[in-house]
Amino acid sequence: MPTLTADPCVSCAQHRAQSLVRLGISTDRWDYLIALAGNPNVGKSTVFNELTGLRQHTGNWPGKTVVRAEGAFVHEGKRAKVVDLPGTYSLLAGSVDEEVARDFVLFGRPDVTVVVVDATRLERNLNLVLQILEITDRVVVFLNLVDEARRHGIAVDSSRLERELGVPVVQGVAREGAGIDDLVSAVHEVALGTHAVSAVRVEQHTAEVEAALEELAPVIQDAFPEVPNPRWVALRLLNADEAVEGAVLSGELGQLSHDESGAVVEIAPVEARQRVRKTAMSLRWGLPSDFQDVVTGRAYEVAEQIAARVQVRGLKKVGFAFDRKMDQWLTSRIFGFPLMLFILAAVFWITIEGANIPSSILATVLIDNGHGALKALAAGLGIPLWLDGLLLDGVYLATAWVVAVMLPPMAIFFPLFTLLEDFGYLPRVAFNLDALFRKAGAHGKQALTMCMGFGCNAAGVVATRVIDSPRERLVAIITNNFSLCNGRWPTQILIATIFIGALAPSQLGGLISAGAVVGIALLGIVMMFLSSWILTRTVLRGEATSFSLELPPYRPPRILRTLYTSIIDRTLIVLWRAVIFAIPAGAVIWLISNVDVSGVSLAHHAVGWLDPAGLLLGMNGVILLAYVVAIPANEIVIPTVLMLTVLTGGSAVGEGAGVMFELDSVNATGELLRAGGWTLLTGVNLMLFSLLHNPCSTTIYTIYKETRSTKWTVVATLMPLVMGLTVCFLVAQVWRLAAG
Amino acid sequence: MGSTAPESMSGLPKEEADVELRLGDIPLRQTVELVRIDLPADRAEPLLERGVLPGCRICPVRSSPTGDPIISVDGSLLALRRETADCLCVRLLSDFS
Repeated sequence: MPTLTADPCVSCAQHRAQSLVRLGISTDRWDYLIALAGNPNVGKSTVFNELTGLRQHTGNWPGKTVVRAEGAFVHEGKRAKVVDLPGTYSLLAGSVDEEVARDFVLFGRPDVTVVVVDATRLERNLNLVLQILEITDRVVVFLNLVDEARRHGIAVDSSRLERELGVPVVQGVAREGAGIDDLVSAVHEVALGTHAVSAVRVEQHTAEVEAALEELAPVIQDAFPEVPNPRWVALRLLNADEAVEGAVLSGELGQLSHDESGAVVEIAPVEARQRVRKTAMSLRWGLPSDFQDVVTGRAYEVAEQIAARVQVRGLKKVGFAFDRKMDQWLTSRIFGFPLMLFILAAVFWITIEGANIPSSILATVLIDNGHGALKALAAGLGIPLWLDGLLLDGVYLATAWVVAVMLPPMAIFFPLFTLLEDFGYLPRVAFNLDALFRKAGAHGKQALTMCMGFGCNAAGVVATRVIDSPRERLVAIITNNFSLCNGRWPTQILIATIFIGALAPSQLGGLISAGAVVGIALLGIVMMFLSSWILTRTVLRGEATSFSLELPPYRPPRILRTLYTSIIDRTLIVLWRAVIFAIPAGAVIWLISNVDVSGVSLAHHAVGWLDPAGLLLGMNGVILLAYVVAIPANEIVIPTVLMLTVLTGGSAVGEGAGVMFELDSVNATGELLRAGGWTLLTGVNLMLFSLLHNPCSTTIYTIYKETRSTKWTVVATLMPLVMGLTVCFLVAQVWRLAAG
Repeated sequence: MGSTAPESMSGLPKEEADVELRLGDIPLRQTVELVRIDLPADRAEPLLERGVLPGCRICPVRSSPTGDPIISVDGSLLALRRETADCLCVRLLSDFS
């Protein structure tokens, strides 16, 4: 692959260390503010990471960044704050994420807006550049992915483009860090005003539109003196842009422009706001009805002309056939679905097979040796028995369990999943599944939010912002919990290995377990379709909107980078969250097992009380109690189940209440559970219940934040729980009937 | 932009030239030119933003397991639904090769 490092210094760490100091997320004070804008999937987040040294996760699919991320760097003694905006095709906000981007560029008053542009798709990307240039002159264009464009036989004359646009154009390949230093200097110059910019404006209006603008702009300026470009606001109002009109009426327009500087502004008086609206309305009547089409059409036309002038096309294409070949298989009529299942199964199989050995090593170190050593130390120091029990047998063991059980599968699963994501496979999954989502009355992009849910449901819920239709977005939010999340994969994998894999001869165990986990994940997808179908035919009725999804080119995953980011971003963050919740949970479990009421511990009471219901559902009281304890985080279900089984079962494995020893492998865990009365049915129903129950508290809170509705939050919380209880009950009854 | 060439340019047999072609009817790997988008402005906008503009060249490159098209336009791949493809009026390009 051709690289663009003309200057050998550019890629040299020493050189960068001198000119650029990355400050990560310490964004408290800054000399200038930079907004990063661009179409979806052009590598904005990669540019952001390169600038700030942060490791925001990047994925090769449109709509990855839905909330704005912030970071900072220092260049030549000036601190710059960088805001990464969601990718948008235009500023004519259609969806929530487009609105976020539009509002920031317009009202956030960035000192410089960097527009990241995909060199392969210049024409379309320039449309956004031109729209931004209508608002502000202080723009730097970063022409990214020039290597990919070259593969497609396209080269771009960046100095010509710079002349056409009137703002600096820097070309590079952000994935390789090429061009980033040039970008930093260009931004610096524009921010300090040492590089004069005079942006091209496509605005060319007929005399009557021009007259209307002349009349409206001063009225806006009068009501909102802080708005940077009243002409643009005027044009949007004449176009009857509902979002801008809303911002004017509510007074938000003036507020937003102060959002970043932190100053308090008075809302413009009602009369002034009403005057703006009235003037706009009356002027709109005087304009021809096709006015809007003329304006937007003009921008596309100019974009097309500029692109044609600066592009050199028809160069020799390299490696282009690869994408076609891959798509021929991955989205094939015949192989599309089987390959999807195969890839999913392979990921689980590698996870299950690979996690075994490190898991048992960790258990030996942390539980067998570590716990014993700590106990001996505590005894030597003369720490009181109750404190020793609470801290070591409760808190320490719960935490050690979380680490031993969860770390190895996560450290294998997340990098694999991230590799698939970087490669560009997820949009293909969305494409394959779109027809099914449409039949269920839902939006095709729900497939993307579903994939995000496989990582974390709270993230999946936030990701639904890419869906413009509020009705379809709500369907996606409510059903996201049917995507098995991070916190639940380890439970599935462990239980499948113990109870289902064990049914097969040992060579096939891993394969069978992987198959079972895939089965549960698929059941989740089926449930998602089913509940979407029911919702869109009952409470959320409506017409399906049109769907178009860009399939990004396949990009070779950067393996080392992916390993690093997925271990930092996902594995450690999820593990940390689990540990945070495991510490108090461990203490609670130890306490309820050791505080006696009328001679029997609280845990015994609770388990005994829940047992009849648990058995009716094909599970037991321990599992139900564990799910109550684990509402804050699904991650701690398994450690809680194990501890409660030992504590309340009086199992031979432990040394009295509250202590567990020598559970150094999956087999030992299995023996422990079987000794606690677990059967294959218990395992199967635990897997089902783990899929079908209420979302964790973080997700519930996120759903409330995104929907602002108690009703829908309750629906999203209780619907899966009711489904889970029903399914487990039915399975248990049928199972027992069949078993006689 | 979007100007319609005389019918004789389309290189079609006479009776076919009169029939309005929809993208949904175009066989795979047949490049066509977009004439018009028969959708209300709010639903056409997302297509325009993704480079599906009157006058552009479109080539259906694949179809999904369930018959929805993937089109190649402006150097990128776009997945559409059948209903959307049926709202795109296209015309064949004259074949010079």
